[in-house]
Amino acid sequence: MAVLNLPTRRRTRHRLSRLSGVWLVISALLLSGAWNLPAQTAASKEYQIKAAFLFNFAQFVDWPPDTFTNASAPLCIGVLGDDPFGNILDTTINGEKIDGHPLVIRRFHRLEEVQDCQVLFISRSETRRMRQILDALKGRSVLTIGEVDGFCKDGGIIRFVTEQNKIHFRINPETAKNSSLTVSSKLLRLAQIVPPGGD
Amino acid sequence: MRCAGGNGVINGPAFRVKPLPQPSPGGLIILLLAMFFTLPAWGQTASTNTETAALYKKMSLEQLMSIEVTSVSKHSEKLSGTASAIQVITHDDIQRSGVSSLPEALRLAPNLEVAQINSHDWAISTRGFNNTTANKLLVMIDGRAVYTPLYAGVFWDAQSVLLEDVDRIEVVSGPGGTLWGANAVNGVINVITRSARDTQGIYVSGGGGSLLQDFGAGRYGGSVNSNLFYRVYAQHSDRNDTPLANGIDATNAWDMTQGGFRMDYYPSEMNTLTLQGDAYAGSEDQPRNSDVTLDGQNILGRWTRTFSEESDFSLQAYVDRTWRDTHSTFAEDLKTYDFDFQHRFPLGERQSIVWGAGYRLMQDDVRNSPALAFFPANRDLQLFSGFLQDEITLVPDRLKFAIGTKFEHNDFSGFEIQPSGRLTWTPDERQTVWAAVSRAVRSPSRIDTDFFVPATPPYFLAGGTNFDSEKLIAYELGYRVRPSDRLSLSLASYYNFYDQLRSLDVTSPGHFVLANHFRGEVWGFELSANYQAAAWWRLRAGYDYSHKYLTPTSASATPSVREGNDPDNQFSFQSVMDLPAHFQIDVTARYVEKLPTPHVPGYFTFDARLAWQYKHVELALVGQNLWADRHAEFNASSTAPAQEIPRSVYGKVTWRF
Repeated sequence: MAVLNLPTRRRTRHRLSRLSGVWLVISALLLSGAWNLPAQTAASKEYQIKAAFLFNFAQFVDWPPDTFTNASAPLCIGVLGDDPFGNILDTTINGEKIDGHPLVIRRFHRLEEVQDCQVLFISRSETRRMRQILDALKGRSVLTIGEVDGFCKDGGIIRFVTEQNKIHFRINPETAKNSSLTVSSKLLRLAQIVPPGGD
Repeated sequence: MRCAGGNGVINGPAFRVKPLPQPSPGGLIILLLAMFFTLPAWGQTASTNTETAALYKKMSLEQLMSIEVTSVSKHSEKLSGTASAIQVITHDDIQRSGVSSLPEALRLAPNLEVAQINSHDWAISTRGFNNTTANKLLVMIDGRAVYTPLYAGVFWDAQSVLLEDVDRIEVVSGPGGTLWGANAVNGVINVITRSARDTQGIYVSGGGGSLLQDFGAGRYGGSVNSNLFYRVYAQHSDRNDTPLANGIDATNAWDMTQGGFRMDYYPSEMNTLTLQGDAYAGSEDQPRNSDVTLDGQNILGRWTRTFSEESDFSLQAYVDRTWRDTHSTFAEDLKTYDFDFQHRFPLGERQSIVWGAGYRLMQDDVRNSPALAFFPANRDLQLFSGFLQDEITLVPDRLKFAIGTKFEHNDFSGFEIQPSGRLTWTPDERQTVWAAVSRAVRSPSRIDTDFFVPATPPYFLAGGTNFDSEKLIAYELGYRVRPSDRLSLSLASYYNFYDQLRSLDVTSPGHFVLANHFRGEVWGFELSANYQAAAWWRLRAGYDYSHKYLTPTSASATPSVREGNDPDNQFSFQSVMDLPAHFQIDVTARYVEKLPTPHVPGYFTFDARLAWQYKHVELALVGQNLWADRHAEFNASSTAPAQEIPRSVYGKVTWRF
């Protein structure tokens, strides 16, 4: 709402003197909405860093041999739901290859669209459907990454957590194993390990 | 509030609401609030910066995990880009030095003058003017100013923290007057403890030795749910008497008990609520009189809301009560009520605004004695403050200019204005050159205006009715460089001009008042280095040169009574070494040149720590001030010999679960 009201405000600035009374009331009404609004920047520093993490995760995980149809088939990093990265994810992986597989970004609005994707970042916008999404992906060799409470508990593999202003990540090795993914020991060493059923 | 609110928001170019035709007061408040909460989105730009992406992409996971996502305080700017002489003492520096108290930990900042007087008294300052009642340094513990309006300084014996929970201590030398509160004339010390979320689990430690006779501490950190964390802690220590110059026991043994809690609640990713409090009590032996007793309690609440990387706001309130009774001479009960907020937001693509305001009420009640008195005995002191700073990016990633000012109204000297301008040039990622010009004032305190000796006429010292604030204009120039990933160097130089410094003026033979009849110049530089010699070996070193030159400006000023007793040169050194088989060996050493008046000889000494750490257990043996049997560090009185600090050892056992 805050973002929405800005252009309006700018346009009406020259008429402020006449409209000030009305505007005050509108502003006051908007206040409550603005208060709960997350900062909708194109890509905040947080997501610039998270994009680099995604790129790293893809390098430290091995997929089963039958995942790729050929040696130069693309490795897909998908974003399901509202994309918090803007174009930063594209910029990050632009021109990169992992073991000969060129990286591509795909964006999905619905679970059903998710096909041939090896890494899947599940956005906050899917929080209410998270359980359902993760259940549907169970056993498929998809590295699921999320950032909401309960993500690992619901069956997600890697969850971002912000601690002391810094981004850390948790891994549930059990779920990774059930998805036939091999997580490198380096990644496991840096991660907070989630026990089965934990978050 | 009045100051910053008035000058910062209403007239701020971002808001362009000047044409408003006299809105009603209620309307104005709504307008301000509405802007306050909606505006942060204005300056946000699509920061889809390909350079940033390329930079993060090249980083290791470890490096990515060390980047701060948002900066939530005035000073969480990365050290390398800060336009001031800042030194940071980390948790690890503290743990590995074997220090056992907050003042001892401050010795690790190469830009501070730290002198221990006896088992419980300290003189701490920066860039000169050190004394037991040093008055040009602002000290904060988790945002709470530990300031006594009695002498505009700090009673160091009342300031304890559980060192295990300290995240870092930021020490800024040079005026911090613009952004920080009253008294940030020569520097700011900011003690920051870890959040409850970062101090989960059990910590127990205990031990004993020669000077530090026995001590114990415990902390438990737990969580109510995944958003609400808490910790509780308690600690106790008994310190032995330190000796006089002739080796005789000075009878100043000190015991201290403190407990406290902290709760951190994260209702959402953008909001943090903190509630924390401490209570302490202690006593100090006196040679002839009964013990000095002290106690205190404080509670602080803070709400921080992060709108984006460039925008946040915080609201903080605390109540602090501190009491001390020296029986024969005086007793003081001080209650401080403080309220502060600050707000940071971008203005267009090139400007970042920080503004804030605060109100403080200090109820200072003194019990006088025949020997000395404060008149009136009880005073309520109010302090209104506001600040506004605009940081302008002149050349992206290269050149920044920050201009700002602090406004303040205190009950002694009235309205004070403390502006500063700071220029930061970062020619590349490894180098920073900065320059600053600032004005700062040291507001008067009760000892400057209300202090009478003895308590009945004829007075030897009859207050300082006309005492005004002490003024400083400071010129600073600094350079920081990282020649390699293992080495970082910092040089800060300064030229300080003081006017209206405190003087002791003769009114008639044998009768004095306090006045402002000294002028001074202090110049010097601070050099420091951090070197990671190997993965298992880290070195820090510092060298300070400072020279103070004071001249009386009135014939009535007593020329021999000058503020502070400071060395010209001091060196510090720390080595932190991890050895095989879980052993650690750490050394800190220091040299402080002689103090001029009263004369105290220069000294060299060092501390050493040998520890064995395995899983949950740590065993440590610490020797402090090992070089000589005993040495003096400070003397505030020209009539009494300096008290001395003995060589000492202690052992410590720690469990962390």
